[in-house]
Amino acid sequence: MYSLSWLILLLPLTGFISLSWFGKRFPKLLGGWFACAMVGGAFLVTLLMLAQLYSEDPVDRLNHVQTLYPWIVSEGFSLNLSILIDPLSVFMLLIVTGVGALIHVYSIGYMHHDKEFTRFFAYLNLFIFSMSVLVLAADFFFLIVGWALVGLASYLLIGFWTEKKSAVLAARKAFVMNVIGDVGMVIAAFMIFEHFGSLNYVDVFKAAPTAFFPNDDSILLITFLLLVGAFAKSAQIPLHTWLPDAMEGPTPVSALIHAATMVTAGVYLVARCNALFTMAPFTMYLIASVGVITAIVAGSIGMVQYDIKKVIAYSTMSQIGFMFLAVGVGVFSVGMFHLMTHAFFKALLFLAAGSVIHGMADEQDIRKMGGLRYAMPITFVTFLIGSLALAGFPLTAGFFSKEEIVMNAYHGQYGNFVFWGLAVIAVGMTGFYTFRLFFYTFMGKLRTPEAKPHESPLVMTAPLMVLAGLSLLGGFLGPWVHSFLSPVFGGTVPMHHDDAMLEIIAVAAAMGGIIAAVAVYMTGKDQLAFAKQMLAPIYEALFNKYYIDEIYDFLIVKPVKAIGKFMEERAEKLGIDFSVDEVGRQVREVSRGISIWQSGKVRIYALNMVAGMVTILLFVIFM
Amino acid sequence: MMEFLDQLWSFSMDRETVFGLFQQSLVFIIGMTAILASLGVILCASPIYSALYLIGNMVCLAMLFLLFNAEFLAVVQVVVYAGAVMILFLFIIALLGSKEEKRELSFQNFAALSFVGLLFGELLMSMMVEETKPVLGQVTPEVVQQVGSAKAIGIELFSNHIVPFELASLLLLVAAVGIISLAKFSYKPLRKRTRT
Amino acid sequence: MGSEFVLFISAAIFSIGSLGFVIRKNPLVMFMSVELMLNAVNFLLIGYSSFLNSLDGQIFALIIMTVAAAEVVVGLAIILTIFRTRHELDVDRINTLKG
Repeated sequence: MYSLSWLILLLPLTGFISLSWFGKRFPKLLGGWFACAMVGGAFLVTLLMLAQLYSEDPVDRLNHVQTLYPWIVSEGFSLNLSILIDPLSVFMLLIVTGVGALIHVYSIGYMHHDKEFTRFFAYLNLFIFSMSVLVLAADFFFLIVGWALVGLASYLLIGFWTEKKSAVLAARKAFVMNVIGDVGMVIAAFMIFEHFGSLNYVDVFKAAPTAFFPNDDSILLITFLLLVGAFAKSAQIPLHTWLPDAMEGPTPVSALIHAATMVTAGVYLVARCNALFTMAPFTMYLIASVGVITAIVAGSIGMVQYDIKKVIAYSTMSQIGFMFLAVGVGVFSVGMFHLMTHAFFKALLFLAAGSVIHGMADEQDIRKMGGLRYAMPITFVTFLIGSLALAGFPLTAGFFSKEEIVMNAYHGQYGNFVFWGLAVIAVGMTGFYTFRLFFYTFMGKLRTPEAKPHESPLVMTAPLMVLAGLSLLGGFLGPWVHSFLSPVFGGTVPMHHDDAMLEIIAVAAAMGGIIAAVAVYMTGKDQLAFAKQMLAPIYEALFNKYYIDEIYDFLIVKPVKAIGKFMEERAEKLGIDFSVDEVGRQVREVSRGISIWQSGKVRIYALNMVAGMVTILLFVIFM
Repeated sequence: MMEFLDQLWSFSMDRETVFGLFQQSLVFIIGMTAILASLGVILCASPIYSALYLIGNMVCLAMLFLLFNAEFLAVVQVVVYAGAVMILFLFIIALLGSKEEKRELSFQNFAALSFVGLLFGELLMSMMVEETKPVLGQVTPEVVQQVGSAKAIGIELFSNHIVPFELASLLLLVAAVGIISLAKFSYKPLRKRTRT
Repeated sequence: MGSEFVLFISAAIFSIGSLGFVIRKNPLVMFMSVELMLNAVNFLLIGYSSFLNSLDGQIFALIIMTVAAAEVVVGLAIILTIFRTRHELDVDRINTLKG
């Protein structure tokens, strides 16, 4: 039965190939629903795999490797085309294909007016395929293949509207930063091969506990390099600058790739390689620190942005910081749980924002919106549910997962007070910016009455409703997630700490953020102006994203461009071109010299013949 | 050469040696004439004189052929070579006119002279090797005298060397066709004919 | 034996013929020098056929004479054609194949 799992890869791939080759011949909607069917089929197969896994004992659920073809067979290195079916990969696949299918359905409505409708669905299917490769890979090789493919799909989809120059530049920026991560991953793979002699997950993770001393130099280096890849893909500091710019792509793209799935690949990587990471506690501290710092920094920037999608993007960055905090303090399944709930409510928020943008005729500035609760009721309700979940309102999905993270930030294996404190601050910021966004967009009066906002069609609101339901109920899946994933993480289940005090403080922080937003944005404008004046320098820094983009431009981009220009002018023109031309010129000179011999005069040719005859005879006689 | 002088001074006057001596001295004299004639060919200013010198050279060579028991070839030389070919030459010279050309002392001529001198020297080296052994052939002059030179050549030609013979005849055919197409008179009347 | 004479005479006429070919400018005289060379070779062949008691040399000389006749004919036709178009009897001036 497990061999059916190849369909998970095959269906989206078929969708991509057929849409890109034949897509133009069929009516648009047929192509769109075909793509949805492919992803829906993949989701059904994933459910089948889930059922299959459940029919076995928990101990046996690991290490189901399906091999298609033994690709490289040689002394000392062998590689098979194989995929791994275990709880972690099935879990990720449920999210990828499930949320992916919903977003496909949504896109049929959102991209309805676009000329390049078919191409969009082809790329979306390509992305689902790539992400499945990444998740299903049974060794580091195919992990990196999937990693790169996902980067490619992201590039193609961010720069989907090729006539928009800003989109193309953003796509390029995303791709370049992804490549930085790829380099780290590849070097890490080399080192893993050197130490373990194999790239298979099964072999490596079985040997990991005994192959190193904890905090050994080599394991630190390996995990650090893997982290470079994870941070680049998941947009953590310092490799985060591509994510806000990636909002240039269509909104379904932002929902699928930059909220629910691709950016969580870094967390998946750390969870998958938990055997390696647990041998390097120092790296775990690093992960948690970077995660919590990103959560705070991203949250602070998100509090002052005016583009609806950018706010949600910074929120994504912040929430992934939470996920990294969770895996950094040692509770991997908590991080995965938050990954799942985040996929639900963040995709919901993005899709609802897309609905708003669609209804406001492609307007994205929230200062121009307001009072949309009357014009777009379904979007209003679903966005409210999503915001509550994101902020961590009690009993929503986000509440459960965030609670666990904050709790374990203190009580976890590597947790301490500092992590906990910063996490609480980040929770407060989350509440604040989320409801700031909500109030600006939906409450009050419409600030630009000439735009006639209208509700979106059913094909767009139906996924919203499904995701809203999941955001409300998903939190109760927590215990199931922990028990299902525990074999992958060494058979442990995160302990439920009954520290009432910490719980209350965390909830208070969340509510505090919400109330602060209410106070600032629902009451008067003058308080806002006053605060802005007082904190003007801080505000400027936040608004300009701490000038990180400018720093990178100065430190890295300009020198690289200067070097390139120098090489082009000196090395290329004067060096290489010159020498090649010189060879040609010399050949011409020599042949010009030789061609003097061809005088065209018969007598000279005859003289040459006589001279040749004389010489040959000389050799013959005196030999 | 040394043998010749030895024989000359030995004063043994039997028929064979006298005959041999006579033959050898004749060869020498006629040979020198031929060489002088060929010098005349290349050194004369006017082409007609060069042609005449060449005819003289060919006649000398025909006489030499006779001295070496090749009567048929001597006749063929006179009839075909000196007769037909050289007459053809003379016709063309008469047709094209003969300019007197001045002799120049250029570096090219000096180089030619030196190379040809070297060539001559090398060719003379062939004299330094051993005497040629009369290895081949059962066709002694007596045998040839029995059947007659032409007949002997005919037998040889048509039995052992039939292929070169046929190819030579083909060659002559090709040459004949070739020169007819090359040396046709003017092409212009053809065009005039089509116009009318 | 008189074989040295044969060699000497033949070598001399051959060398003179090749010298004439390179020195003279008139194409007809150059052609005549070629004939000289062919004659020298004929003489050598016939001389040695007599010394070696074989008729092969004479047959060879006969074929050479045939070929020389054909060649003269064609060569003169070519010179005639060149003269007709260019009115030039100086080989040095016919150098369009230069370079």
